[in-house]
Order: sequence, then C-alpha cells, then structure tokens
Amino acid sequence: MSRRKKRRQSPQPKEAELNIMPFIDIFSMLNTFLLVSAAFVNIGLIEVQVPFLTNAPPPKDKPPRSLDIHVAVEKDKVELESRWSAPPVDEKKTEYKLDEAGLSSLHKELVALRQSSPDSDKLNVHSEDDVPYKKLVEVLDAVMLRRKGDPVFDKFEGNRLEKLKEENFIFRKVVMAGVIL
Amino acid sequence: MASTGENGDSLSLNLTPMLDIFSILVTFLLMSYSTDPVNHDIDQDLELPSSATLANLDEVPAIVVNRKSIMINDKKVVDLQGGDVPEKDRDQGAIRPVYETLVKIQEQNKKVMANLGREEKEKQNSLVMEMDQDHNFKLMKRIMLSAEQAEFVKFKLVVAREGD
Repeated sequence: MSRRKKRRQSPQPKEAELNIMPFIDIFSMLNTFLLVSAAFVNIGLIEVQVPFLTNAPPPKDKPPRSLDIHVAVEKDKVELESRWSAPPVDEKKTEYKLDEAGLSSLHKELVALRQSSPDSDKLNVHSEDDVPYKKLVEVLDAVMLRRKGDPVFDKFEGNRLEKLKEENFIFRKVVMAGVIL
Repeated sequence: MASTGENGDSLSLNLTPMLDIFSILVTFLLMSYSTDPVNHDIDQDLELPSSATLANLDEVPAIVVNRKSIMINDKKVVDLQGGDVPEKDRDQGAIRPVYETLVKIQEQNKKVMANLGREEKEKQNSLVMEMDQDHNFKLMKRIMLSAEQAEFVKFKLVVAREGD
C-alpha cells in the first residue's frame, strides 16, 4: 500500500521546452547581414572597341576573302550592310525596324552571315547621335549575343560557366566605327 | 515562449510563423547572394540598360555618367546641361576635362603595368563605363573620343543583366 501511495504522489514530469531564442538571434543577424550585402540588380558587361591607328604589321594568315559587316543604327531603324572583300562581292543592304521583331530578324540574318563566314568574328556598328543608349544596347545584344537555338561559333574548352560565357557570342569584336575624330 | 500575466494567466507567444518567415527569407537571400568577383553599388542617379550578356563585372567602373554629371573614379569632372556637355568643355567633339583626367590615369597605369604580363597590360587600354540608359549616343561618342585620345580603346559598358 505504502508503495502505491508513493507512486501516486510522485511529481508529474515537466514538459520539455526548446529554447529557440538563440536560434532567432542567429537568424536575425544572418538576415540583417544578407539584406545589407544583397545585390538586387545583377550587373553585367558588354565589351566594345573604338577604331584606332596602329603601326603593327597586318596579320600574315589573313584569308584572301573576308566578310565586312556594318550595322547602322538610327532612331527608329537599323540597316545591315554586308560585302565580301574580294569578288564575288555579293553586297547586300537590308533595313529593319528598331523594335523587337526587327531586331529578331536582324539577329537571324547575322547568324546566317556568321555561318557563311565562320572565321570572321568582327562587326562594325555606326550609330546616329540621337540614338538613346538603351536602344543601342538592345542592338548590341542582337548583333553580339547568341540566342536560344543558335549554333555555337567559337568553341571553348573549360568549365561549364566559362564555356557558357565564352560561347555566348555571334560576333565577339564589335567596333564602334563612328567614333573617330 | 510563455510568461505569466498579472492575473496569473499564462500568456504564450507563438514564434513558429516568425521562424518560418525568417527561414524563407534567409533561404531566398542565400540563393540570390551575388558571387560576382566585384561588388559595386550602382549610382543612385542613373538607370542601367538591360542586356542578356553573361559577362560579369570584373572591375569597378572608372567612368560614371549619371543624369547630371560625368564622374571619373568617383570625382565629378563635368556637369551636364540638358544631357550634353557645356560648350566650354568641348574640344573637337571630345570633352577636355575628361581627356585630361584620363591622360593622368593612363600615365599612372603605364608606370604600374610596366612590369606586368600581357593580360594585365591589355587592361591598361580598357575602361569600364556606367551610363544612364536615357543619354544619347552623342554623349557616349564624346566620352569615347576623349578616352581614345588618352589611349583607351576598349570599353566595357555596364548593363543590368536580364533574368537575374
């Protein structure tokens, strides 16, 4: 009997409670740090060059026939001109509207031109003074960068990320041809 | 978390939803944490054009062209008037103060780069430029002409990457 009494009077086990305050403290600190250091706009680069005079000798392995491509940007249209340096010259001039559909057609034509001349990765861009920088970047995107479904022109061996970046071009060298004194 | 009120009632604050929000926020921030080699804050007085480029920013921009002024290495060089350079600062289509500042930078670059490799020497000829998307090419051309006279022939144009 006495044993039973003792069992009945024994205190109930306390409910275990997890102290989550340190956990919340860590989360708060981590949140504050990440929010302060977060970059919400991811920044990229487009590389272009201007024409310059050099006294270096011309390259020895220059192909006998190369393709010259000029893209002229105006406020509401883009003109593409292509001609071979030696006969048959096969000169072509095409105009495109400076909108999404026009730039898409321009891009397709440039992909075809690069396919016809795989060794040439240079293109000249001329722009009118009144073209907004935003529009110029849209044109540069269309003429320089590969889009989904485009073939790879310049194969690159390396890790996946580097390969993606290096193979992302139709024309890698873009010369802002109008920038000259 | 429990506490006892004045009347002896037990009050309990439910922290679980707050922990849920914190967990989701931390996960999102960690996922979007930038691993770019250079961390750069864009000038508040400009808006970058967007591009599909995959190239990362690898240097801090030397030239910043916001809506009001042209800055080189965080130092204001020219005040813009109506999106263009005032007549007094122009010289044959270029911008004299920009040219003079860039010549000094190029001289310093040459001294520093004299003993470096070819890849580093190529950087000597390139400039990173951050410019507001609403400026016209006319202004960009003036800056490029000034830079070209100071032997900078490659330009890395800073853009906002699409889809990030």
